[in-house]
Amino acid sequence: MLTPLLSSDWAFVADNVPYLFGGIVLTVALTAASILLGFLAGFPAGTVEVYGGRYASGAVETVGVVLRGTPIVVILLFAYFGTPIESAFVAAVLGLGLRSGAYQSQIFRGAIQSVDEGQMEAARAVGLSRLQAIRRVVVPQALRRSIPGFQNEFTIVLKDTSVAFAIGLSELLTRSNDLFVQNTNAVLEVILFASAVYFVLTFVTNRTLDYVGNVFAIPTGDST
Amino acid sequence: MEHRTSVDMDRRTYVKVVGASSVAGLTATAGCVGSLTGSGGDETPDKTLTAGTAPGFPPFEMKEGGDLVGFDIDLLEAVVAESEYTLSGWEEFEFKGLTPALGSEKIDVIAAAMTINDKRDKNIDFSNPYYSADQSILVRKGGDFSPSKLGDLSGHPIGAQKGTTGEGIVKDELVSTDQLKQSNYNSYGSYVLAVEDLVNGNIDAIVIDKPVAQTFQSERDVSIAFTYETGEQYGFGVREGDSDVQSALDTGLKAVRDSGEYAEIRNEWFSDS
Repeated sequence: MLTPLLSSDWAFVADNVPYLFGGIVLTVALTAASILLGFLAGFPAGTVEVYGGRYASGAVETVGVVLRGTPIVVILLFAYFGTPIESAFVAAVLGLGLRSGAYQSQIFRGAIQSVDEGQMEAARAVGLSRLQAIRRVVVPQALRRSIPGFQNEFTIVLKDTSVAFAIGLSELLTRSNDLFVQNTNAVLEVILFASAVYFVLTFVTNRTLDYVGNVFAIPTGDST
Repeated sequence: MEHRTSVDMDRRTYVKVVGASSVAGLTATAGCVGSLTGSGGDETPDKTLTAGTAPGFPPFEMKEGGDLVGFDIDLLEAVVAESEYTLSGWEEFEFKGLTPALGSEKIDVIAAAMTINDKRDKNIDFSNPYYSADQSILVRKGGDFSPSKLGDLSGHPIGAQKGTTGEGIVKDELVSTDQLKQSNYNSYGSYVLAVEDLVNGNIDAIVIDKPVAQTFQSERDVSIAFTYETGEQYGFGVREGDSDVQSALDTGLKAVRDSGEYAEIRNEWFSDS
């Protein structure tokens, strides 16, 4: 027997929208801050892995493997309980952001490596230094190609913010939990509502990134 | 393409790194679970306490309209009011985050329907017990399954919440003794979801703390088949060696029991016990 989708249960959800909204704000803030930190750490890391010397790229790779190989809950617990960081929000952004940086570094590494070697040679041939060539020729092309992978990562971070409850941050999913504990008949309705919110956030983000991709696409008639 | 732009990690290095990372992870966890410090007895003792709980366990602790309420909340506030300490506020964590939070001094007291057991007692200290944690077996109301002892659960899909006494009983009394197949045990992040599954017919019974079972019985189409006396009890958790707070809580608890306030709070939250 499935719980019927009672209008009274939807009314309960509607009454609690302000409470859930507080969770949505926290979810969005966590996602935005973590993605930004992940980009600031991950983009240079990806570049270093491709162009860096043996020691630099080795160090970056090791850190990346450790971050990618540790469960997110463990990373968050360590960031909050294992360091002197006082604020749970800062600890969560640090944990989510650094792990996202490790994933993003691979997105950018792949994108940079996909740019044809001849581009670098041509850039050097017209007199650019190695660094200028990377900055002016390779990276602009690589960034365009990294948009699809970056869209994925954005979605993953958005949904992983729910793990932050482990260190006491009550984001959207935690607040949804609070609600269906309060009214145990509305489990399905509350979960559907939260899913819809996650879907809207993901959809809007992806469409925005699609748009960005189109705006910055290399304007050629036949190939990019 | 003869270009090798990235250093291929050979398999041995990979295993080393992954091993190291999991060790690092484990140490980190162990580090934050182990008691990091004793009491701060070397400075002037701070007379405020921060309490921690894990909402989602009605009627002990849950959220109502965004506010934290429940038996544990009222009782701890009454107990601390009887001591020389003051309660500065409540922090909310997942149940498994409470012990690390205590160890790293984010909170000073755990009030979260935590059963006193030897495993936990190694890492934290407990106040005197304040509630008996007998376990009830919940089944569908009006269903044809009516067990009367643990053995009757054999062969049926059973549910409990992760990390609870109920889960411990399923594992120790049924799965370990081969009365229940491991695949027949479903663990949930929250008892609410377990009850949802029970009502929908995906599992046949739930092992759950008696007062929580009574709350569900009054709200959903489920009923208590029988109650299993565990002899286990709930206590407030404090940091290992934090004897000042421990004895303050014990004194406060006794005062609250003697004044009749304990009975008042209990009657408010457990209507039919």
